[in-house]
Amino acid sequence: MSESPFPETMPSPWVSAHTLPWWQAAAEHRLVVQTCRECGATRHPPAPRCWSCRAPAHEWTELPGTGAVYTFTVVHKSFIPGLEVPHVVAAVELDASGNARLVTNIVGCAPSDVTIGMRVAVTWDDIAPDLSLPRFVPA
Amino acid sequence: MSDQPAAGRRAVIAGVATTDYPNHPDLTELAVHAIAGERALADAGLSWEDVDGYSSAGFFPMHAVQVCEYLGIHPHYLDETNIGGASFEVLVEHAAAAVERGQAEVVLITYGSVQLSQMGRRLGTGGTGPAPVGTATSDAVWGNTLVGNYALAAARHIHEFGTTPEQLAEIAVTMREHAVANPLAQYREPIAVDDVLASRLVADPLHVLDCCVISDGGAACVVTTEERARDLPKPAAHVLGAAHATTHHMNISQMPDLTITSAAESGPLAMQRAGITVDDVDVLQVYDSFTVTVLLTLEDLGFCKKGDGGGFVENGRLRWDGPLPTNTDGGGLSACHPGMRGMFLIVEAVRQLRGEGTARQVTDVEIALCHGTGGMLSTGATLVLGTEHR
Repeated sequence: MSESPFPETMPSPWVSAHTLPWWQAAAEHRLVVQTCRECGATRHPPAPRCWSCRAPAHEWTELPGTGAVYTFTVVHKSFIPGLEVPHVVAAVELDASGNARLVTNIVGCAPSDVTIGMRVAVTWDDIAPDLSLPRFVPA
Repeated sequence: MSDQPAAGRRAVIAGVATTDYPNHPDLTELAVHAIAGERALADAGLSWEDVDGYSSAGFFPMHAVQVCEYLGIHPHYLDETNIGGASFEVLVEHAAAAVERGQAEVVLITYGSVQLSQMGRRLGTGGTGPAPVGTATSDAVWGNTLVGNYALAAARHIHEFGTTPEQLAEIAVTMREHAVANPLAQYREPIAVDDVLASRLVADPLHVLDCCVISDGGAACVVTTEERARDLPKPAAHVLGAAHATTHHMNISQMPDLTITSAAESGPLAMQRAGITVDDVDVLQVYDSFTVTVLLTLEDLGFCKKGDGGGFVENGRLRWDGPLPTNTDGGGLSACHPGMRGMFLIVEAVRQLRGEGTARQVTDVEIALCHGTGGMLSTGATLVLGTEHR
């Protein structure tokens, strides 16, 4: 387990047949994005059909795990018991993903050091044997 | 509306009411619906026996049916379309279409909540439950909050356009000025920009005073035809046009551009259907879940250019006696916000059209525009009302 300010009381992800491969890749510390086999468009979160051409065929493309902060907030009031505040929630635009955006956390720096546009890289937080969460640190 | 209904069947709002918000410690949610509905019918000069259509949106399926059972009514037109806080503008849009087609004569639409009192009634701290169902990567898994979603949009707007926290605060200050003149409003002490900025940060850049209040309360309206309303006591508010749109569900990371809401789609469409432009709007009622919600909505409806909202709201432009009177009852930021506020926008719009705005009555109101926002900036619904059809 990595050092984490996030307690065990954090909500667990809800997983469906469409999204399970994404979480299975995450458990192996691979950040992936669903890519349409017909037109090459990416989509996230995973969905049964391409949002551009509606084709169902897809593959999972492994991403470099880097990106840029699109926007962020410092959460000062949380309703999750045990969750320390302040903590940073950010939307990160993932490199090589066709601008797929992931809401995640920026860790490994002070909240006051986070800026929009800042380069970040994934770090994996192992929550359980089948669950690892991607968070990001300054790159 | 685009398809012209038969003569006399054009839709109007004949009655409106709210409960005596913001505290209903002795009432159930259903009782709040009943009081709001009864008052709206009385305002319209109608009775429960006249109601043949009923609409509402709540937080559980078959909500409208439950209220019907409680009220002992058996309408043959029912609607509980739920797109969050914007639902009630849509319910009026649907009810208007129903009466224009002759599917119903009198549609009662009610909302009720005892959200504030329930917070006091609950024992223990409670859990937050599982992450919202729908997508794998629910933003809540990373500790994002409801306020956090709107803060992400505000931070992006600040980054792209140089909007300042002071400009966002200006919106809260104006809403509070309106609340001072509303005897029911939850908070009536005047505030200044510095008070907003000095209030506790909830999710940077949004402070407590950038956020709507938490209230009990109910509101209702009665939709019927122009012909039926001719014999009724109050001046009718005519339904001139409506439209709604969506950009994403509950994960704001999926919103294509966090500075552009679905108001950019629903607003122009509703105004086109109503045959008006933004210049015709005399009074505006927009969902103010947060100060940034108002800022984005003003831009997207077309009252100013995208990015110019910060400067636009300065110098009292949104004051009841300013160039664009907005949320004249004090809005969700100061008057009341019982979970979903869409109906309260409609009630205040109709009162302004009738000249019942009391100390905060805007002069010469002929056109009122309501815009509800639901979810995490997920949905938008615009409703244009007027003193007469045009």
